[in-house]
Amino acid sequence: MSDLQDSTEQLREARDRITDAARPDIVSRITDSGKMTARQRINALLDPGSEVEFGSIAAATEEGAWVPEPGGVDFVGTINGQAVIASSTDYTDHGGGYGAGRLGRLFATAYERRWPVVLFVDGGGSRARHPRTGMGHIETSGPIGRFSFLDGLPELNGWVPTIAIVSGPAFAGHASLAGMSDLLISTPGSSIGMGGPPMVEAALGHRLTPNELAGAEMHDLGGGLDLLVTSESEAIDTAKRYLHFYHQPSIMSQAPARVDLSGTSGTTEIIASLVDEGSQLELRPNFAPNLITLLARINGHSVGVLANNRAVEDGAITQHAATKINRFVELCNAYDYPILSIIDTPGCTIQPRRKKQQDPEPGSIPGLNRWHTRALLAHQQRTVPLIAIQTGSSGGLAGKLMTGASTSRGVPLMKLGWPNVEMGRRDGFSVIVDHNAFDDIITPEESRERVVRLLNLVGKPTRQRDQKKHWIDLW
Amino acid sequence: MQEELLNQITQARATAGGRSTNARQRIGRLLDPGSFEEYGPLAGRTTKTDDPINADGMLGGVGRVADAPVVVACYDTDQIEGRQSDRNLRKMSKLLYLAHEHRWPFICFADGKGARLDDPLPPPPIAVSARGRFDLLDGLAELNGWVPTISIVSGACCEGHSAIAMMTDFTVAAESASFAAHDGPPIPASDFATQGDIDLVLKTDAEAIDAARQYLSFYLTPETDFAPSDSASAIADVIPDNRRRPYDMGKVMNALVDADSAFELAPRWGRSMLTALARIGGKTVGVYANQPKSPLAGAIDADAADKAARFIELCDAYDYPIVSLIDNPGYMVGPKAESEGIARHHARPLTALHHRSVPLYSIQIRKAYGLGPYAMSGWGSARRMPDLRLAWPSVESGGMSLEGAAYLVKRKEIQAADSPEEALRIRDEYAETMRDASSGLRAARSYQFDDVLMPADTRPRLINLLKALPPPNRKPHRFGGLKRHAIDLR
Repeated sequence: MSDLQDSTEQLREARDRITDAARPDIVSRITDSGKMTARQRINALLDPGSEVEFGSIAAATEEGAWVPEPGGVDFVGTINGQAVIASSTDYTDHGGGYGAGRLGRLFATAYERRWPVVLFVDGGGSRARHPRTGMGHIETSGPIGRFSFLDGLPELNGWVPTIAIVSGPAFAGHASLAGMSDLLISTPGSSIGMGGPPMVEAALGHRLTPNELAGAEMHDLGGGLDLLVTSESEAIDTAKRYLHFYHQPSIMSQAPARVDLSGTSGTTEIIASLVDEGSQLELRPNFAPNLITLLARINGHSVGVLANNRAVEDGAITQHAATKINRFVELCNAYDYPILSIIDTPGCTIQPRRKKQQDPEPGSIPGLNRWHTRALLAHQQRTVPLIAIQTGSSGGLAGKLMTGASTSRGVPLMKLGWPNVEMGRRDGFSVIVDHNAFDDIITPEESRERVVRLLNLVGKPTRQRDQKKHWIDLW
Repeated sequence: MQEELLNQITQARATAGGRSTNARQRIGRLLDPGSFEEYGPLAGRTTKTDDPINADGMLGGVGRVADAPVVVACYDTDQIEGRQSDRNLRKMSKLLYLAHEHRWPFICFADGKGARLDDPLPPPPIAVSARGRFDLLDGLAELNGWVPTISIVSGACCEGHSAIAMMTDFTVAAESASFAAHDGPPIPASDFATQGDIDLVLKTDAEAIDAARQYLSFYLTPETDFAPSDSASAIADVIPDNRRRPYDMGKVMNALVDADSAFELAPRWGRSMLTALARIGGKTVGVYANQPKSPLAGAIDADAADKAARFIELCDAYDYPIVSLIDNPGYMVGPKAESEGIARHHARPLTALHHRSVPLYSIQIRKAYGLGPYAMSGWGSARRMPDLRLAWPSVESGGMSLEGAAYLVKRKEIQAADSPEEALRIRDEYAETMRDASSGLRAARSYQFDDVLMPADTRPRLINLLKALPPPNRKPHRFGGLKRHAIDLR
């Protein structure tokens, strides 16, 4: 057994080597490229003085010397006083190949304590050093411990928020971690793909840069990520805002923005008139933009807002918009956000697939396919209250995709309409008089107050349950 | 009782029975002979005694398939184009109630042209119209995952009718079928089949009906007599000696499962992923497998991932144990696959597997490279491990293709090589050492698999394990009684 004094000294040396101060060249190279080191990211994310590091000096070289753990850093700490797991790959070291065992261990803690997870993931997947047998990475007898690093995220999905930030190239296992998170934030120039450029060159003969191959900008349009922000620090702020909705489901109210709703208003003005000023966090804004999904606050309550966007294709619900509804409703339901659904849509449409990749995007045609049904299925299992306000028309079945088709489960808490509503070929007054299609007709000016009262009645969500309601679909 | 009243009804019943010939024939082909108990045969468009519209354009009732109860609805396109009315929707509501309450499968012949525009009462959608426990669409959403729901379509299927066809978990069409909005161009059934919006397109309506019966049999008859297929003992011969040569995974499946029992779902969509219901030892199982002979050689792209996820949920909802056959070069890579969002879609089968309750038996036939194979068996630790993970002697596995891994490990030597031939030699030589390391016997020695065995021994092994499982629980519950989960239809 080694002497405690000697080994303590050895520990100090190893500790010194893991700081950014110990590697000024690498740090300045990173800083010059406008990016943050793994430790700078964690520092910016966690409340100062709250962080507890796991496995800082875990690795040993073949000669038995301690070295900083290659691949990344892992912490538990707080954001606005609430505990979270925070981890960052370190792409300067072995391409960011992660410390899989540690991550799996922290996922188990996240599960036990119900702590959200924030991951910075950039890198090229696991370290392909040695030939592996059997199923590759994981042995049939199961990895030791509750979770392997990759089934931890499916287990956490729907139980606690999981956030991935990709501000660089993320391929293979890194992309997998990113793709399995609830909220995937990325920055311009980054990339997220299942196979990196060398693999693509080997398999298909294309030579492409990471960004050409699987750029964040492309995913922003195609639905492959939730939010593209300008910088790592904005990504960190966004993650904090996202968690604030979860951790503080009810806070002091802000007034809504002053919006003049007389005359014709666009969807964004209508939303602004209903939610607290400055509270909006839009998700997947550039994917299927004919439907808006955002988290916001109304009188301080965290809510999810679904709205048909009349500015794009008149607010028609394409199959992509329907799938966006599905994922968003599942997200709100899993994390107990009441939903405000703002309806003004001419109907459902199908966007045909391009025959060839280089073809222009074909125009939408009226109709619906199986993707559309996902919105109905999401509402059918929804248990959070939904308040609907129809501000214009509701054509065909599209209105049901916004509220659920239910006469039984998932019935809207209240379905409101503005005086100008139309349903199919009918105007609002006659549908109300004849068939109770709305619970009430109200003016635009009354709308926020009505929603606020309903949300006050609903109150703060209780999250006490033994298990999650369901998982949140990744697409 | 007054003679006149009796006569009135007798006559009306006789007239009704003589109408809707085509609809009655379709129902007759679906159900066991003489088992149809009709609901609302006298329902009309009006309350006039001489109303000429039979059953208000939609026949419905309870009957039997394979001697088990089912609920059936058939829009009658010979009457007002089979359109939906308030009356026939109320009838539909009743049928959905019966299917839900008793946990009886629901089958709908969904041809028709949407709502009846001149209906005296409002056509759907109306937000709050209390027709019964369920309105049409939420009834179907509620049944989804609770009992099998099936649509059969052989003609024009528009508007609200196409919504039914899209809402069922098995949709089968004749080639003559098409789908449309009221003002949109019709989309032929074959187009919908290639993009995964319907499961099966067959030549005729009769074949489509027979397929529906077959789909139901897996649910309604959890156990049957069985015999091995003729090719069972020669199953190893399907795998070519040359490890680079593709083969048809369908042949492996057919040799493994009971003779003539495999029923492939969605063969035209996501073709690198094969999904089928089948029987092993007489018991219903779901088989999903990589297809080496597909254009993607079994690589998993977004469609294949979606197809697998949907299938896993279907098997889980209806208590079918899952068998997976693995020969997978990985998830699909490249700009096209990435633009389809494979980095997100790849997680869907994984997450579905992670949350399943049914057992899974995986058999690795040949390749398992990269992350793709996890879509075939899960990560396998936290919730559910595969009950059995088998391998054949032909397996090879790794984080990436062995040649690719060899290139990365030996990159410096390869780049310094004197000639391209030399570079290739270095790579392939190293790849061979890895192939040896990942061979079946070494994998068995290091307990990477629960067993590595002769291909022909696989089937008896599965029969024995399946025998140990309890029969599926198909009990009905009180209202609110719970299905495991919905089946995501995409």
